Amino acid sequence: MVDELLFFMEVLVGGLLAGTMYSLVALGFVLIFKASATFNFSQGAMVFFSVLAFCGFMQDFNIPFVLAFILAALLMVVVGLCTERLVLRPLMNASEDTVLMATIGLGYVLEGLAQAAWGVEVRRLDLGIGDFPVPWIADNLKLFISALDIFAGLVAALMIIGLSLLFKFTKIGLGLRAVADDAGAASSIGIPLKHIMLLVWSAAGVVALVAGCMWGARAGVQFALVDLALKALPVLIIGGFSSIPGAIIGGLIIGATEKVLEVYIGPFFGGAIEGWAPYVLAIFFLLYRPEGLFGEKIIRRV
Amino acid sequence: MSNSSANILDIKNIEVRYDNVILALHDVSLKVPKGKVVALLGANGAGKSTTLKAVSTMLASERGKVTNGSIEYDGNSIEKQTPSQMVGLGMVQVLEGRRCFGHLTVEENIISGAYSRKLSKGDINQELEKIYTYFIRLKERRKSQAAFTSGGEQQMIAVARAMMAKPKMLLLDEPTMGLAPQLVAEIFNIVQELNTKEGVSILLAEQNTNVALKNSDYGYIIETGRVMLDGTAQSLLNDDKVKELYLGISKKGRKNFRDVLKEESLKKRSN
Repeated sequence: MVDELLFFMEVLVGGLLAGTMYSLVALGFVLIFKASATFNFSQGAMVFFSVLAFCGFMQDFNIPFVLAFILAALLMVVVGLCTERLVLRPLMNASEDTVLMATIGLGYVLEGLAQAAWGVEVRRLDLGIGDFPVPWIADNLKLFISALDIFAGLVAALMIIGLSLLFKFTKIGLGLRAVADDAGAASSIGIPLKHIMLLVWSAAGVVALVAGCMWGARAGVQFALVDLALKALPVLIIGGFSSIPGAIIGGLIIGATEKVLEVYIGPFFGGAIEGWAPYVLAIFFLLYRPEGLFGEKIIRRV
Repeated sequence: MSNSSANILDIKNIEVRYDNVILALHDVSLKVPKGKVVALLGANGAGKSTTLKAVSTMLASERGKVTNGSIEYDGNSIEKQTPSQMVGLGMVQVLEGRRCFGHLTVEENIISGAYSRKLSKGDINQELEKIYTYFIRLKERRKSQAAFTSGGEQQMIAVARAMMAKPKMLLLDEPTMGLAPQLVAEIFNIVQELNTKEGVSILLAEQNTNVALKNSDYGYIIETGRVMLDGTAQSLLNDDKVKELYLGISKKGRKNFRDVLKEESLKKRSN
């Protein structure tokens, strides 16, 4: 009985921590959704592009870890700059659907560029943190929990706190929230939309890089990261597209449920249900709570 | 009005098209003297909002374009400016329908107006206190979410937000739309105060002709994208045609300006 409970705890905690990795990816989507009211389909490609560049800098040019990370982050700022200039600005008056389609195109461009520059083979990314159970926790709590999962959890927590503080207390954060509410009104009082867009896309790029590092360290830096990032879709449907805490909680819920379902219900379906179980959960949310747990309801004064 | 530099805004014969096709303004000329309040009057669709957006350069974001004529603000053409540059130059538009940032608090809304200025936290608080002296009602509600405030309060937020940008000139687009008469009076009191105490020049688009003229120095009446009549506010208030069309009730039901002019020319001919 005790063993059963411990096993359940292990599955749950492992799922929650793996969920923070989904949260990290979802965070990038939320940033852009807040400013452009668009689901950025290229976020997955940004994850792939950024972490592949990071690996490329380290492995092809022998640039040290920290410097390579900074270079990759700067590269994502450049990507943000180009996206604002070449994609978003020409589409300023276009409908949200058009921008959505443009992000799909942008995704293909980034995937292509990344593979053209750094090749197509799977790369290994070593963050210096093993994907093994932490001995101390295994000995004392009898739970086998991966060090990488714990590290990813900590990083996600730090990013969330950092971004929340940025939005709440800085001038540019205020500008971003204003643009998210009413871009036209924001521009009428002199908030330059292009600066906000640049900031948001750069921030989403850096978040993508961090998420890519976590996933890359676990699964290898490879093209599959692009599809993995789409797991953020059910995360966002559950958490709410415009909410940073929602992205986190949504990630945790998806991570935990998919692991628990996989272990306990999976065998009845022949296994591998973690691939689609989150989407089923998302459909229930779409039916009964379409704005998600934390999404901003459309406020209507009566 | 003879000295051109006495005008903060000088619009000369502008024509505006949307999507390169739809002609919204045919020929609008108007002047706003420094430190004065000028009313732009007309019915729905007459071109009031389009005129204001042409001035604040916000037309571009709605696929509109000034295709003819010129607009000078403070002696310089505004042709190459962007909305945020115009705000930097001291021209701020309060859009029709208030357009508050619903999820932000009242105070955050107002502070967002200072975005274009490089102010320290202390300076912002000082400015904020000054703004609250004009908008006492907002100070009480500073922590509420803007979306849950009343229509009148939202209008005040919109004007207060614009004032945080320290404008030399305000463009107000139908500030009294949908407000109770008492609130209309309150809004106009504030507008008057901002004009006299802060020296802000104001171009005011309104359908509420009577109240607007009583609170303005000069008025223009536009209809289907053309200026039909202009004059001092007092002269317009006493004008028979304006009285009949915009202020009182005509004996023969509603008419538009062209009908009145036609009638007059017929009368003249028959005399």
